[in-house]
Amino acid sequence: MKALRPAGDVGQLPTVTFGHRSLMWWGTLGFMVIEGWTTALLVAAYFYVRQNYQAWPPLRTPYPSLLIPTVNLALMLVSLIPARIVDGKAKKLDGPAVKRWMIIMSVTAVPILVLRWWELWAINTRWDTTAYGSAAWTIVGFHTSLLLLDIVDTLGLTLFFHIRRMPVKAFSDTADNSFYWYFTVGIWIPIYLIVYVGPRFF
Amino acid sequence: MTDVRGHGGRVLPANTALAQESLDREGQQLEVVWSDKPGFWGWLTTADHKKIAKRYLVTTFLMFIAGGIEAALMRMQLARPENGLIGPDKYNQLFTVHGTTMMFLFAVPVMNAMGIYFVPLMLGTRDVAFPRLNAFGYWTFLVAVVFMYVSLFANTGPDVGWFAYVPLSGPQYSPGHRVDVWAQVVTFTEISALVAAVNIIVTTFKMRAPGMSLNRIPIFVWAQLVVAFMIIFAMPAVATASTLMLATDRAVSMHWFNPAEGGDALLWQHMFWFFGHPEVYIIFLPALGFITPIIETFCRRPVFGYTAIVMANITTAFFAFGLWVHHMFATPIPELGQSLFTAASMLIAIPTGIQIFCWLVTMWASRPRLRVPMLFVLGFIFTFVNGGITGVMLASVAFDKQAHDTFFVVAHLHYVLLGGGVMPLFGAFYFWYPKITGRMLSETLGKWHFWLFVIGVNVTFFPMHKLGLDGMPRRVYTYLAPTGWGPLNLVATIGAFTIAVGVLVFVINAIMSWRGGEEAGPNPWESSGLEWATASPPPPYNFVHVPVVESRHPLWDTSIDLPVVTGFRKDRREVLITTTFDALPDSRHEHPTGSIWPVYLAGCMAVVFIGSIFSPYFVLGGLGLSLIGLAGWGWQGSKPAGHERVATPALPEGA
Repeated sequence: MKALRPAGDVGQLPTVTFGHRSLMWWGTLGFMVIEGWTTALLVAAYFYVRQNYQAWPPLRTPYPSLLIPTVNLALMLVSLIPARIVDGKAKKLDGPAVKRWMIIMSVTAVPILVLRWWELWAINTRWDTTAYGSAAWTIVGFHTSLLLLDIVDTLGLTLFFHIRRMPVKAFSDTADNSFYWYFTVGIWIPIYLIVYVGPRFF
Repeated sequence: MTDVRGHGGRVLPANTALAQESLDREGQQLEVVWSDKPGFWGWLTTADHKKIAKRYLVTTFLMFIAGGIEAALMRMQLARPENGLIGPDKYNQLFTVHGTTMMFLFAVPVMNAMGIYFVPLMLGTRDVAFPRLNAFGYWTFLVAVVFMYVSLFANTGPDVGWFAYVPLSGPQYSPGHRVDVWAQVVTFTEISALVAAVNIIVTTFKMRAPGMSLNRIPIFVWAQLVVAFMIIFAMPAVATASTLMLATDRAVSMHWFNPAEGGDALLWQHMFWFFGHPEVYIIFLPALGFITPIIETFCRRPVFGYTAIVMANITTAFFAFGLWVHHMFATPIPELGQSLFTAASMLIAIPTGIQIFCWLVTMWASRPRLRVPMLFVLGFIFTFVNGGITGVMLASVAFDKQAHDTFFVVAHLHYVLLGGGVMPLFGAFYFWYPKITGRMLSETLGKWHFWLFVIGVNVTFFPMHKLGLDGMPRRVYTYLAPTGWGPLNLVATIGAFTIAVGVLVFVINAIMSWRGGEEAGPNPWESSGLEWATASPPPPYNFVHVPVVESRHPLWDTSIDLPVVTGFRKDRREVLITTTFDALPDSRHEHPTGSIWPVYLAGCMAVVFIGSIFSPYFVLGGLGLSLIGLAGWGWQGSKPAGHERVATPALPEGA
């Protein structure tokens, strides 16, 4: 083996970073790409089976209801506010504010998951009646798994922040949790438009 | 003297006062911090990328042998007309499990395993980005292996072909649980491939040695990186098709593939091949990545056309997503579509050709040392080019319709996968075995292995071209004597046993050399990559000091001594994070230790997905159990740490 020559000292470099300078942010981004792409494939499959029908939704199938999905969409958009504030406070390492706003973020997120139950039934047909129903249920169901994952993460972080002294890097993880929440809400907008509003137009 | 610059271009002062003895002493301190817990618990909870990769390598190789035994049984059945060794039902299970094993449980994970082992070493870092996720990936993969083989021995082996076409695999024509086994095995392997891909991408982007800018990344790592991106875009297609569509059609009466209710059988073929065609390149590109360092080492010169090879890799990846319909030429797709996919299928031969020409040019003006890894590279060129040419033939619709579903296709795909995937892989085993074990493999046994394998492959699969052209369909358990297919089938069977003897020689070589092989030392081949800059086998922390890279061939171009960075904490595991493009040192990241939670969560996944075959309550139960795992994982990961230096966009640095 060759002899070693010290060429630089990294002792002064930071040990906690945020955003694209942190590994966790990149990992989160990786899973967002996978989940976003899966959603895109499901949407493509939705339109693929659309070709087999004259009418969409199929005959004798009512349009999806709009009331609950629209209320829930509004809730999701509102939930971006605490998520954004938590993100900002975490980047300022403001522990008390993060603790406070994580509770508010959890309080806005949980009703979204509860409303999702009725939102599934707002498709107005069962998954086992037609391929239309299967496609709509699968897309909304898959998004529900993303929603569930992020809400579990949010609740877990909130709990941990309140019961133990969290390390500084937990602030970076908290900012990444908000980052994932933006994605979860953002990807819902096209799903809402395609699954609930779309059948009225195509 | 090299200056090492950090984020923002500031020069990091070098601690030149460090004496050699003090550098050596740091190794002992790292040993304490980076070693796993002793005993069984340490074995179970380890997250060391090298240990995880070795488990992958051993498990996938056992799967290669299992798939090989299945192939040998099929060849024995087909050795003569109207043979009564294996009945049609068992034969269906055998060819399905053989294909599924070789593609999902051997070829893709073994290539990932090589990446998991060597990418961190070649990049000069101490581990992969997410070691616990990496461990989770392995345990999930192991669930797939156990589930598949327990099912096979319980007479519930999948029996609808490795691509499980609907409607045959749908609830109407495949009652029982055989197809469910297939669908969930696929789910587990996709999860494991996806987490490996995310790990390889983030490791390559953020954890390269200082100075290893994008244009200095080893070609092996480029190939792994490109393939990781391919996995991210290909695997969700089959995971969606098998888990969210086929399994739900079967379990909860969805209608994705039921034409009576507006579903579509062709949708399955689109979804499957949108994954299935890139899959071939997911196996093949890493294998090409093995070839460049082998050729460079045994020709003693840098490869010709580094940029061309990297660009060819990326181009191949793009084209690979535009060819899937050539698997569907026998279905009613529009003529314009057929022409497009024919053109694309022929086009992809160009970037592959570019790589082969670059290697030929590299070899041309040198005097290659014909050691065993190099022999396998030559075997690859000969065998793979044959498979590539029949691929171009099959790209033509008129020919494809004649050869579709015949042994010609079987011959083509085995030439490509054995020639393009397995031969470079064996070359890679001989080349890197000394790094993994510290011992050399026997050169004599290696040459026996090489000749038996290459001759065996050609004797087995070359006659199948003729059998296919004579009309012998694939996936039939027997045939009648008047067809005249008997003699060539017998030749193919003799070839299959030649392959088996070759692989046996390799297994004997690997076992004997594990303890008794010649000592390798850090760099037995005098190769140029960073993986050779550390001991063989590498210590748990890979490198005592993180190396600094000044060229594409750090060990060839750094004449006297190897520049390194110092200044990591000694009381915890730390890795260096560098910037994405230029690899400037940016931060030190506290690195996780081993943990039981990845094993536990893989168990929860087993409950969810295997249970989903029987009852939705298992899904709920498994998800509930996984909450405990997620909480435990998060709790362990949020242990209060000592003093940290924080860089946040909202506050001045060092706050």
